Amino acid sequence: MEVPARSNEIALESFQFHEEIRQLMAPPPENASSFTALLELPHSRAVELLHSPERSNSQAVASEGPPKPYFHCPGGGGFGFPANSAVVGRDSMCSSFTVEANGSSQKVKDEPVGESDSDPHSSSQPLVSDPPVEDKAQKPGKRKDREKKAKGSAKKSKSNCAEDADKLPYVHVRARRGQATDSHSLAERARREKINARMKLLQELVPGCNKISGTALVLDEIINHVQSLQRQVEILSMRLAAVNPGIDFNLDSIFAAESASLVDSNFSNVSFPLPWSELQANMLRQQYQQQPWHLDSLQHPMWGREDCSHNLIASENSHLSYDSPANSGKMSMHSRAAENGVTKVE
Amino acid sequence: MDSYASFRESDPDTSLESGRKKRRKIEAESQSSEYGRTDVKWRSESAQRIYSVKLVEALQRASQSAAPATSRSTGGRTVRDLANRVLAMAARGRTRWSRAILASRLRLRRLRKVRKPSGSCSRPRKPLPAPSEDRKRRLPAVEKRVKVLSRLVPGCKGIPVTNLLEEAGDYIAALEMQVRAMTALTELLSGSHSDRLGSSTPSPA
Repeated sequence: MEVPARSNEIALESFQFHEEIRQLMAPPPENASSFTALLELPHSRAVELLHSPERSNSQAVASEGPPKPYFHCPGGGGFGFPANSAVVGRDSMCSSFTVEANGSSQKVKDEPVGESDSDPHSSSQPLVSDPPVEDKAQKPGKRKDREKKAKGSAKKSKSNCAEDADKLPYVHVRARRGQATDSHSLAERARREKINARMKLLQELVPGCNKISGTALVLDEIINHVQSLQRQVEILSMRLAAVNPGIDFNLDSIFAAESASLVDSNFSNVSFPLPWSELQANMLRQQYQQQPWHLDSLQHPMWGREDCSHNLIASENSHLSYDSPANSGKMSMHSRAAENGVTKVE
Repeated sequence: MDSYASFRESDPDTSLESGRKKRRKIEAESQSSEYGRTDVKWRSESAQRIYSVKLVEALQRASQSAAPATSRSTGGRTVRDLANRVLAMAARGRTRWSRAILASRLRLRRLRKVRKPSGSCSRPRKPLPAPSEDRKRRLPAVEKRVKVLSRLVPGCKGIPVTNLLEEAGDYIAALEMQVRAMTALTELLSGSHSDRLGSSTPSPA
């Protein structure tokens, strides 16, 4: 199997690392950083932890499959360890552990510097990085999720903002000093970042949410907003339904009357909704080819003449390109309706 | 007036240049690397125009296809469903809620004939993860609200919170556009309606 061969190489490297680490590390603090806990252990024990399916130490590894990927070294970027490249193909826990040990040691020592790439300084702990070999069972369904997280959550350089967590494939997460660093909490943190980023967007969308702090209250506001919008739609649809029967839906005659009244009366008196000049112009153009002057009357200050012509073309194009087969069907129906309307009017 | 003002955000005199600038800005925004800003597409004037026209067409079809006397074609609920469906069409199927709206009609028809239990439709919920030492455990308060929100947004019952928030954002933007468009449409139609009833302006032949 691959494991024994790898483990040999890795044991070697980890040994070197541990030496380094021991030299660097001060007496480990009592915080939750299990990394330091590892350092306390004798080397053999550490290696054993590395390569053995040790579940007791990594609290969450057993319960959650996904933590593995965090330590996936993207492309084995130039660590110079043959082991890495070999392991990278799999869910490289062991190799990444060694690399991380190196990286995180530095990190723990001096406050996290914005290290960029090579080492995935995942602060997460070596213990966790050890996905029991058997655990490879990893439901393939989760694989995509893991890989995504793996590429992403390896580290979070300071330059990466949380907002990019939305769509970027890489979600870099780094545990700050004093924070829990097991993969489980890393996963949580990555998820939290994404959720917070989306919440921020939503806050901008919903009026009045900017001042509110706290996820629950913001969600309250969002829910209220959605409910009010839906209610508005219902009321409007009832009004629209009430208006409909009276009109008989001869929109061409409607628009004709409307445009005539517009030409005569003062434009400012009529609360002419903005997009409707477009709509009217479009419909009139389709139906009343012989009366282009309607367009001019509608073009008023809102759109400007040159804009209107562009918009007409644009809207026509948008019609056609929007959903061509369906649209052409609609258009033909519309023209048929127009014909009927025209005949009725006349 | 309100819709006009809200659209332009400026006085009518300068609306010309600002309109052009705003349109360009909106297009630039949508093309720029703005992750997650799907609502920009719903804010654009062209989107509202497209939606309005399609809605009008759909209303025409609905009122003409059904018998003119029946109120079924132009009942309030029918119009609302129609409006929602046109809105979902405008979303071009890229969002979950739009697909759910469009699919629900088919499902409804199927369910009417075959009275299937609704349990089969909904996806089985993911079991809660075993309590572990998570930092920032999902608060029950937030959980409750997330559930309520998922019920409000169509087709978002069992999806993860991240996706739900994304869908909610898009849904809100779409709803706002729908309200704007329908307000304008109602105003227009009711205005012309009263015109026709009140005045005796001869329509040009």
